[in-house]
Amino acid sequence: MGRYAFVVKRLLLIVPLLMVIVLLVFLLLKVTPGDPARLVAGLRASDEDVAEVRQELGLEDPVIVQYGNYLGGVVQGDFGYSYRSRQPVIDVIGARAAPSLWLAMGGLLVALAISLPLGIWAAVRRDAWVDQAVRWLSLFGVTMPAFWVGLMLIMLVALPTGWFPTGGFGDSATEHLHHMVLPALTLGISLSPIQIRSLRSSTIKVLESDYVQVGRSIGVDGLPLIRKFVIRNTISATITLLAIETSFLLFSMVIIESTFNIPGLGQGMVHAASQRDFPAIQGYTLLFALIVVGVYLIADIVNALIDPRVEISA
Amino acid sequence: MTANLVSTVEATGAPTEPDLDVVRSRWKDMPTKFWIGTGIVGVYALIAVFAYWLAPYDPVEPDVVNRLASPSWSHLIGTDELGRDVLSRLLVATRIDLTVGFLGAFFPMVVGTALGAMAGYFGKWVDVLIMRVADIVQAFPAYILIIALVFAFGQGAGTILIAFTITVWVVYARLIRDEILRVRGLDYVQAARAAGVPSWRIIGRHILPNTISQTVVYFTTDVLYAILAIASFSFIGLGIPLPAPEWGSMIEGGQEFLRDNWWLTVAPGVALSILGLGFMLIGDGLDDRLSE
Repeated sequence: MGRYAFVVKRLLLIVPLLMVIVLLVFLLLKVTPGDPARLVAGLRASDEDVAEVRQELGLEDPVIVQYGNYLGGVVQGDFGYSYRSRQPVIDVIGARAAPSLWLAMGGLLVALAISLPLGIWAAVRRDAWVDQAVRWLSLFGVTMPAFWVGLMLIMLVALPTGWFPTGGFGDSATEHLHHMVLPALTLGISLSPIQIRSLRSSTIKVLESDYVQVGRSIGVDGLPLIRKFVIRNTISATITLLAIETSFLLFSMVIIESTFNIPGLGQGMVHAASQRDFPAIQGYTLLFALIVVGVYLIADIVNALIDPRVEISA
Repeated sequence: MTANLVSTVEATGAPTEPDLDVVRSRWKDMPTKFWIGTGIVGVYALIAVFAYWLAPYDPVEPDVVNRLASPSWSHLIGTDELGRDVLSRLLVATRIDLTVGFLGAFFPMVVGTALGAMAGYFGKWVDVLIMRVADIVQAFPAYILIIALVFAFGQGAGTILIAFTITVWVVYARLIRDEILRVRGLDYVQAARAAGVPSWRIIGRHILPNTISQTVVYFTTDVLYAILAIASFSFIGLGIPLPAPEWGSMIEGGQEFLRDNWWLTVAPGVALSILGLGFMLIGDGLDDRLSE
């Protein structure tokens, strides 16, 4: 199969997957105990009022019709209305996107800044003290929960120095940046250990390969060898790893936004869960699932296009 | 006659029952970190079993007169905002976190291994069906799905275990399926099959023992991830309901008093990290041993 045919096929396969995902998100909330109409109408509403609300929300329709309506809406970007704020869910989500994007970008940058040099350094000095130190460091890193790392940063850095805010998002771009330093650091620290471990092993594999040996024999060594021969060949593995880690990244974001009180998507989902806001929970779950599907798709396509050796068998 | 043949094949054909010397040397050659890890987890397990006996105070009963006491001889790690002894709560929390964490990795392992073994061994439509379901589950961000499931079924250890099982089995299924595809064609399995050994017996006695090592390595680190997840869910108020002592919710409770009563936050985090380190060391040690 040609590379472009692969890309097209991969894109087409997404459609049925998306429909199943929407169905599952829809059904999940259908089996949830509790009456949404009662939630919307309020505890003191009469039974007649509740019945009316139920009618309004379309909850009296057959389930298949409800699914059809929901799917039809989702396709047009309509995720229903939040039971709490009465705003369209898509607007509620949209208003919370910016802080999460800042956090995700910052966290990924920190993670790369930590893991790329450490992972490669450890691989090059395999089994030397550097390697040992890096391996122990990443071992400890995995065992610390992200929210605890965040609180430790607040306790050890923010409170004694007063240099960084302990929560919130600020109002201007510079304030955003200032507010994101500690959360991004926390996210980066929680993503790094897995990346270091995997970068180390993929770099070792590359270093042992024939063409690196050839490179060495023609006199390329040290940093140029790493730059020209090694990094390029670990890119594909890094992209795949980042894709696989998306789920963990999203979860860490949920936790870190709660720790630092950042008005982002993760905090929004937690609020929606504690307020039993059905359409909002559906919206967030769907959005996060779409992000994961999207990232996998992009990773597959990018890998297929940049690396001719990627096996195409789908 | 058939029975005879079966037992002969099983006796000679399968390297499933290594003799005792090999087993003994396997244990002896385990790296030191494996034993350190086992030691750590062992101590925590003992604490979990004897938690109520070790705890100097009631872990749940408020004692408002003594609220937010600093560490002293009567309260080694101080008291929290309701005057409860932090050490007692830490000890009893070990019980909850270790049990739920262990089961949170154990149930997915059993379900995933069973389904993966079926997919790999029977192939055809069984494989297609199980692996398609696995694809869909994997398209969901597992932890986000867990939040939605907690929302749907209510808070508590039971919901978290169900949610873990629904989402994490996929990893185990893939591990075992790939291994089985590798082993299935090997001579001794073919021989057992030719001799008419029933499928479940071939899977259970001849295939699983030879393919389970990767699963065991993954399981030990997965316990850590399960514990981290439980603590995280409790931290955001969607995990183990209060007032049961749990490390994550203890950290959440101490957050407010970070400036003056930092031990409320530090102590549960340290307790969790050391246990996590124990499981990581076991996993790493096993992995080193296997990849030799």
